[in-house]
Amino acid sequence: MESHRTSKTRRPLPLALQAAGGTLAACLLLAAAPAMAETVVSGQSDTILRIGRNSEKKLEVPAYEYLRLGILSNDSYGGTLSANFGGWGRVNLDDRSNRDRKSYESDLQYGYISYQAAKNNIVATAGRQFVTEGVASDRLDGIYLRSDIAAGFAASAFAGNPVISEPNYQGGDVIFGGRVSHSMYKYYTVGVSALRSSGETKNNREELGGDFWFHPAKELDVTGRSTFNALTNNWMEHAYAVSLVPNDMFRVSADVSKINYKDYFAGQTTSVFNFSLPGRGIDPNEELTAVGGVVALNPTKELSVSVDMKHYDYKVAQPANYYGAKLAYAKPESYSAGASIHRMDGKQNKLRYTEYRIYTAKEFHNADVSLDLIDVHYDSAVNGVRDAFTATVGGGYKFNEALRLGADIDYSKNPDYDNEVRALVKLTYAFDMKYAGEGRAK
Amino acid sequence: MRNGRFILLVVLSLLASLLYACASPSIARKHPEAVKGMPDCNECHSDSWGAMNHKAVDFYAKHKFYASQPNVCMGCHTQAFCSDCHAHKEEIKPSDKYKDNPARALPHRGDYLSQHKIDGRMNPASCVKCHGRQNNERCITCHR
Repeated sequence: MESHRTSKTRRPLPLALQAAGGTLAACLLLAAAPAMAETVVSGQSDTILRIGRNSEKKLEVPAYEYLRLGILSNDSYGGTLSANFGGWGRVNLDDRSNRDRKSYESDLQYGYISYQAAKNNIVATAGRQFVTEGVASDRLDGIYLRSDIAAGFAASAFAGNPVISEPNYQGGDVIFGGRVSHSMYKYYTVGVSALRSSGETKNNREELGGDFWFHPAKELDVTGRSTFNALTNNWMEHAYAVSLVPNDMFRVSADVSKINYKDYFAGQTTSVFNFSLPGRGIDPNEELTAVGGVVALNPTKELSVSVDMKHYDYKVAQPANYYGAKLAYAKPESYSAGASIHRMDGKQNKLRYTEYRIYTAKEFHNADVSLDLIDVHYDSAVNGVRDAFTATVGGGYKFNEALRLGADIDYSKNPDYDNEVRALVKLTYAFDMKYAGEGRAK
Repeated sequence: MRNGRFILLVVLSLLASLLYACASPSIARKHPEAVKGMPDCNECHSDSWGAMNHKAVDFYAKHKFYASQPNVCMGCHTQAFCSDCHAHKEEIKPSDKYKDNPARALPHRGDYLSQHKIDGRMNPASCVKCHGRQNNERCITCHR
């Protein structure tokens, strides 16, 4: 009965239209700017060139331009109006016979106008945006509204078109939802939220959830969320975490999560999460319970030593344990270094391996260098290879506060690639350093 | 019917908000102090904001809970920061884009082609937030 699965294809907006929309939004904002007390325009351009070979050993040289732009105006009432745009484009500079990728590609990651009022944490946003409200962690083309209400309550709502990457998979025509929360900021926030994504598709979603953040004392922080799938009528996920920090030098944290695969993966559009791929997709009968913990010591502000573990238990598959230790040193804008070792101990051969990592980065006056070594040693060879090893060397030079040129080269030898070498060159130009960047990837 | 009740609840909440006479100040639109590197919020904040200590070993795992306070995050971050990892369509993984900062907690370091087969079996739910309904162009080259 194919009629229930209308193969309506949503075509993404062409880059020119996306850019025109972003520019129009910016122009509208600038037109209103004279009435504003202050306007700041800032952003960042990252031009990236990658050089490497694909799985067929053909040379790939894609060039990317990432552009982020923010325009911000404060009004005389203390509110802030902003327009934000972020997107990228790519052209292939290699042989046109290379068919692995289209010769050009682009995307609008976000593009929205937002107003934040001086009172009540009122926010109104319109455009392509990423919404994180309880059960929602979704990108949509639409509107988002949020405000505090009386007596510690707050409410938010959003509605629009769900943004999905692959238009041939159907993610629904409309998504909407919201969250109502109550806070005593010194002690707690609790919220209930809902989301619905609907359309003539098999990937509709109806999710309800509750979340909380308790911090009754400085030393204790407890967070959690439970999500219910109203279409399958069962819990998708429970996830809870607690941190105990008796003093600045010592931290203990623990987390527990439970995921019911049949309910959790029901609304996903990526084919790997299908239930109908025997042996390759998701087993709908599976349930995962993961319990973990971390103990960390900070003898100084810069130094951290931690041990961590996580136990994975399944209803169908065999259990596994992941545990290890990490040493890290970080002095901002000067030096950082770290080392870690982790062991995965599972019942199956492919879940028995040891991970090693060592890294260091040093900043000189205007230059910086970094080194990162990662090795995964498998107990049993995969494709005849026992180690997946990657070494990365990087360096950069800052011409001034706005302009930086960086490059790195990495070498990999692993079960999928023999002696793979890739390089990346990145030129970063930041607009308007004085106002320290709305729109910049801080 | 269920939708109608839900929309009514949201509309009433927003209406009550508009009528809320005793307005309280919003959280600062922009963090008043410039922050360098990964901040330990406890250095200045003795209240609940201290829990946002970005240096904490469990902060990366817990940031999904704090993200339900987006106006707090927006004091320092824009959506550009989120989209580095939570991308719509992305061809460069975050750890490749920021190899000059190996101390930063970023997903998929090293050779992730081999490792993703293991992580995907261990906890496929960890893939979903970024690759469940978007950012899946690379996935479908093999997972058709």
